[in-house]
Amino acid sequence: MNHHIHWQARAIPFQTGESVASALQRAGIHQLGRAPTGQALAVFCGIGQCQGCLIMADGQVTEACLQICRDGLTLQPLDGDADV
Amino acid sequence: MPDPAEFDVLIAGAGIVGASVAWHLASAGLRVAVIDATGPAAAASGASDGAVSVASKKPGLMARLASESLLYTRELSTGGPLAGAFHARPSYVFGSGAVEMSALDALVSKLADLTGPVRVTADGPATLLPGLGGAVDRLVVLEGEGHMPGHKAVRAYLSRPGITTIWPAPIRAIASDSNGVTLDLGHRKLRGNTLVAALGTATLDLFPALPIQPRAGQLIVTDRGPVDALRGSLTAASYLVAKTGSGDQLPLPPVVIDPLTTGQYLIGSTREAHGRTDQVDFATLKSLLSRASQIWPALLNRRVIRTFAGVRAAVADGLPIVGAMPGQPRVLMATGFEGDGICLSAVIGREVALMVQGLAPQSHWAADLAALSPARFENTAQKGAA
Amino acid sequence: MSDHPILIVGAGLAGLAAAVELARQGLPVLVIDQAQAIGGAVHRQPLPGVRSTATGAQAHRWSRLIAEVQAQAIPIRCGTRFGGVDHTGAALLTGALSTLIRPRAIVLATGARESVQPRPGWTLPGVMTAGAIQSRIKTLAEPPQGRVLLAGSGPLLLAVGAELCRLRHPPIAIIEAARPLFNPASLTLPLPYLTEAATYLAHLLRARVPLFFGAHLTEIIQTNGPLVAQIDTRKGPRNFAVDVIGLHDGIRPNDAGLTNCDVIPTLRLGDCREALGARAALADGFAGGQKLAAELLGTTPPSPNHDLQRQRAAQARLARIYAHDGLARLAEIPAETVICRCENRTLADLRALGPAPTARALRLDGRFAMGACQGRFCAEWVGRLSDLKAPPKPIGAARWPSRPISVADLLTTSDPIEKETK
Repeated sequence: MNHHIHWQARAIPFQTGESVASALQRAGIHQLGRAPTGQALAVFCGIGQCQGCLIMADGQVTEACLQICRDGLTLQPLDGDADV
Repeated sequence: MPDPAEFDVLIAGAGIVGASVAWHLASAGLRVAVIDATGPAAAASGASDGAVSVASKKPGLMARLASESLLYTRELSTGGPLAGAFHARPSYVFGSGAVEMSALDALVSKLADLTGPVRVTADGPATLLPGLGGAVDRLVVLEGEGHMPGHKAVRAYLSRPGITTIWPAPIRAIASDSNGVTLDLGHRKLRGNTLVAALGTATLDLFPALPIQPRAGQLIVTDRGPVDALRGSLTAASYLVAKTGSGDQLPLPPVVIDPLTTGQYLIGSTREAHGRTDQVDFATLKSLLSRASQIWPALLNRRVIRTFAGVRAAVADGLPIVGAMPGQPRVLMATGFEGDGICLSAVIGREVALMVQGLAPQSHWAADLAALSPARFENTAQKGAA
Repeated sequence: MSDHPILIVGAGLAGLAAAVELARQGLPVLVIDQAQAIGGAVHRQPLPGVRSTATGAQAHRWSRLIAEVQAQAIPIRCGTRFGGVDHTGAALLTGALSTLIRPRAIVLATGARESVQPRPGWTLPGVMTAGAIQSRIKTLAEPPQGRVLLAGSGPLLLAVGAELCRLRHPPIAIIEAARPLFNPASLTLPLPYLTEAATYLAHLLRARVPLFFGAHLTEIIQTNGPLVAQIDTRKGPRNFAVDVIGLHDGIRPNDAGLTNCDVIPTLRLGDCREALGARAALADGFAGGQKLAAELLGTTPPSPNHDLQRQRAAQARLARIYAHDGLARLAEIPAETVICRCENRTLADLRALGPAPTARALRLDGRFAMGACQGRFCAEWVGRLSDLKAPPKPIGAARWPSRPISVADLLTTSDPIEKETK
């Protein structure tokens, strides 16, 4: 686990091939931000169906459970820099 | 002998026009029933972008009516039934290339002639609106128009006490005599003194002689995002050409970008000569989105979550049909608005309510309203296209 | 057109089985899947270097299918998302393979989704589907961190519980609304069902996992600490403080936003058409592939598939064994309970629409089924809550995209169709 993704200012290690959702879960991060509706964003279905775990990955909105980790990938909550 | 009338007025169609007519009649103390095959705002009203726009109306009669209706809509939204349904907002019309430039010239002079509620507050380069992308030669900024989602207005109008709503109830047949009208709803019959038919594309089923044609438009809805700098609809001048012109080939896709209060965008719209709501194709959407995202690059960060087609009821001569059916004095038509129902519904509701009560319109409207009468289709062959 | 491939959406059991059958008949196919690897939900593959958690029977079924897939050299593109098929027969693919294609036919094999009944607190972070926990176990052989509670109804709860035990991370408890073990009809299930269930129960009992049958998770509360699950058991209320809750109330076809196309043959196979589980999906995939091949080649259609009928009967029996009164509880949830997760709409918002709202009113006025998931997780409950007696209906017509597509992706999609028609 020498590679890292960056969740806000935090470097998070990952296993090759795993999703952003699972790397963040291992790091104890469950809440991924807030949707524009005010709803907390978090992994729910885990397989790309529910749209509940949306994040910004390198500036694009995507599902954390479908986005595969790669070294240096920068991730942010949809609602900006709020510390979640 | 037919049964005694249960209602003073039956209104066929719970779209925005029928709902406005119902509200005005109920306000005048009449017993009103609104009947719909499906439910409220089930067709064009529910699929519309909600633009209360004078800019998109044909110069002359339609633009005059739209101006009057915009003013009246504002009045109804100030403590009236449309409070919360109508919101004033600026609108933007853009263009590039010769055809769109001359459409913008026509728009500016039309609005100047009207001296109505819509004013041009700026007319110049793309830099007038921060966030606008390249590929815009000229932008016209308008103040005075607004936004009113059709379903909200319908709900607001129909919530007035004194209006009975009946749905889902397809109308099988209409029988009118000199005393009133009977609707056959299959499981029951309904009797009223007068019928107002505000049926949109369904007019064809019950009044096949009227020259109504369905016209579909494809629309795109994006996901929610931060509410950005775009405060009102952003319309390509070619959309005005499509609505007011002779149906010539458009120079550029007729894009309208509408920022919704949810933080979503609604992007439309084509005008296609069919009535299929399931015909949405990638090639068309790509062409709409391609121009839309050049004009408003923030769209490139959004996702498409839904696409659909709405169907408007168009009339061969481009004018709506409003007034008593020839030979059927108890039947009044209020249909064929081809997407302009949102804007015109307020004033049409008021005027049709007067007609139902046998009251005269304000004198300066008499000629304009007469021009919309279904009587214009009698002996069309002899008169030629009206 | 005959050189255009048959597009198969979903590289799970049904999709791959159909691909194998079609390829055997000499028909070109293209299989896509939005995940990074084949397998679907049931046979989700472990990451490289991770040991498989599949049981012997599962591994055997999968390796036999994969041998066929390899023998037929079936082209598969993972990381590719299906946007939909329009009325002209054009299909939109984005992601690893980004193109508009005009397939000769389409097989929709998008599998199942989980059904999760709304409960107060079900939108809290840390509350997920039992399937989400299982999918993590399959790819990483790793349990979620912290204390896990499983609740709802269905055989999957026992399966996930057993997998957690095998990873030496047993759940705090399993809360099952039904009482399957107390139903004598259980013994009439096919033998493979029984041996599977016995294996799960053995793991759970060995790890001394408390199993509550006829019990319901009624509410989840969180105040600056763990999730607290309120449980209504047959012997009175209980609560459990945990870190992760896996909810599950059955499986349904994952068919939201999937439209049919009139101009090319379109087939739905496996759980995507009828959620009957893995065995049925495999049988349905093979049978559907044969049927489509016969249709395209003008040969004799195959005889009806008895495997599928057997599985349908077994699933119907299973559903009866798992019958419970959870739906009655749905009517009793507090008004502020979120029903639509995407648009954050509550039961109170639904009630505000008045009695018997139309589909249009549910969508436009209520904003139900209007969010990014296309109503996948709320439409079922909105339908039931609007009319508890009627079986749930879809709220309005299906509209593609079946999943959100980025505008940028859509615009950069290559368009061979455009070139063809020029």
